Amino acid sequence: MTLTALSFTLLFVMGTMMVSIWQKLGLEKDIAIGTVRSAVQLLVVGYVLQFIFNADHILYIILIILFMIAVASWNAAKRGKGLPGLFWRIALAISASELLMMGILLGLHIIQATPQYIIPISGMTIGSAMIVSGLFINHIKQEVQSNKGEIETLLSLGATAQQAMQKVRASSVKFSMIPTIDGMKTVGLVQLPGMMTGMIIAGADPIIAVRYQILIVFSFTASAAITSMLLSVLIYRLFFTAGLQLKHPQ
Amino acid sequence: MSAIFQIHNLAKLNWSTDANALNKYLFSQISAEIAEPTRIALIGASGQGKSTLLRIMALLDTPDEGDLLVNGKSFQHIPARQWRMTVTYVAQQAVMLPGSIEDNLRMVSKLHGQPYDVSLATELLEQLGLDYLDLGKVAEDCSGGEKQRISLIRSLLLRPEILLLDEITASLDINSTQKVEALLLNWHKQQGTTFIWVTHDLEQARRISNRTWMMDKGGLQEYSSDAFFNEPVANLAKRFVGSTEGSLH
Repeated sequence: MTLTALSFTLLFVMGTMMVSIWQKLGLEKDIAIGTVRSAVQLLVVGYVLQFIFNADHILYIILIILFMIAVASWNAAKRGKGLPGLFWRIALAISASELLMMGILLGLHIIQATPQYIIPISGMTIGSAMIVSGLFINHIKQEVQSNKGEIETLLSLGATAQQAMQKVRASSVKFSMIPTIDGMKTVGLVQLPGMMTGMIIAGADPIIAVRYQILIVFSFTASAAITSMLLSVLIYRLFFTAGLQLKHPQ
Repeated sequence: MSAIFQIHNLAKLNWSTDANALNKYLFSQISAEIAEPTRIALIGASGQGKSTLLRIMALLDTPDEGDLLVNGKSFQHIPARQWRMTVTYVAQQAVMLPGSIEDNLRMVSKLHGQPYDVSLATELLEQLGLDYLDLGKVAEDCSGGEKQRISLIRSLLLRPEILLLDEITASLDINSTQKVEALLLNWHKQQGTTFIWVTHDLEQARRISNRTWMMDKGGLQEYSSDAFFNEPVANLAKRFVGSTEGSLH
């Protein structure tokens, strides 16, 4: 695709902005900012990836993955204001999930150990883990608030924090995985996923594209499950004081 | 030998963030000692901090000042879990845990890996007039009064040394209230359990207690119940507690 052809796609954006102005929706500013940001971010990433692919050095791969994990953790941690140390816990859960996934994919030679494979697949699994983390934290906060009576009843009967939070933890893990599991059930039927679509457009054999997509779907599910379960272990104690009292909800 | 329970200069700050508020403390300088198994009625007008005091004693809330001791050991040196197995709080609003009535009754044994005392549970259900219940019924579907009594039995199965009872008969009819009172008086006699029972019903306070703790103006005064509920001290009680909240003959 030429840059001129690409710039024509701005017509879609301009059309949307004009509708917004005409209908007085007040969205034109957000659309403009979003357009500039996405274009700049993607172009920068494109150049960064080009540099890394050319350099083909492990250090750069690690650095970009660490950057992805940091941004994902920071973004997900915004959902848990009032829970100290949340960022590091999310970063640990996402890192562990990424390490395990890459360990399996590379160890079993499912993908090649080149930046062209490692970086995009890492990006997708880290992004999925970020969404799962955000959902998990949002839900566990709500659950703690609405189950305060039950948690304190269990504490009154001599329960540990782990025992008192068992139901809330399980329900939050389940909730955070709903989009991943629903996505897995309907993949290909409701929407053709991005990676597969991209490969087909780029001229790949659809069967090869499907194989990679299956790999991504399974990786997403495994990474979502690992991240969510690890978070449930790492985070529940944050809702209690050192003296095992339930903290007042924020 | 150490007292069963001691409160030393306990204080709780008011929720108000106004530093210049007249009442900085909800209560302060509260001290009391329970030397032997006792039945205590905790009375006082609404808003004096009775429930907060009970919650602090159960370590569900933290005191801002002072110390609490069980058998001579400060709460700071006993794991909260162990403390709560000794000093157990029964809330005014009974909360049923997920599952059946039996799941609720078995909870203590499940939490602590102890055998479930089925004969004691059956006996307690009978004594509280709940023997008609199908134990497989979803606990949440029980009436308010049933929940309250199930919650009491659930805590009794823990066999704590001290029971903190927060208006546990407020949602019960006269008949059920009498059964709860009889059961707890008998339990105290048989097991030597101390209870501290928050009530707004002064007649009930007289029936169930041998000591009375009265919270007023941010403090706590202790009386012998015999003295407190007899003239002329009874007039003092009426004046402090408020005649609308109980009747005293």
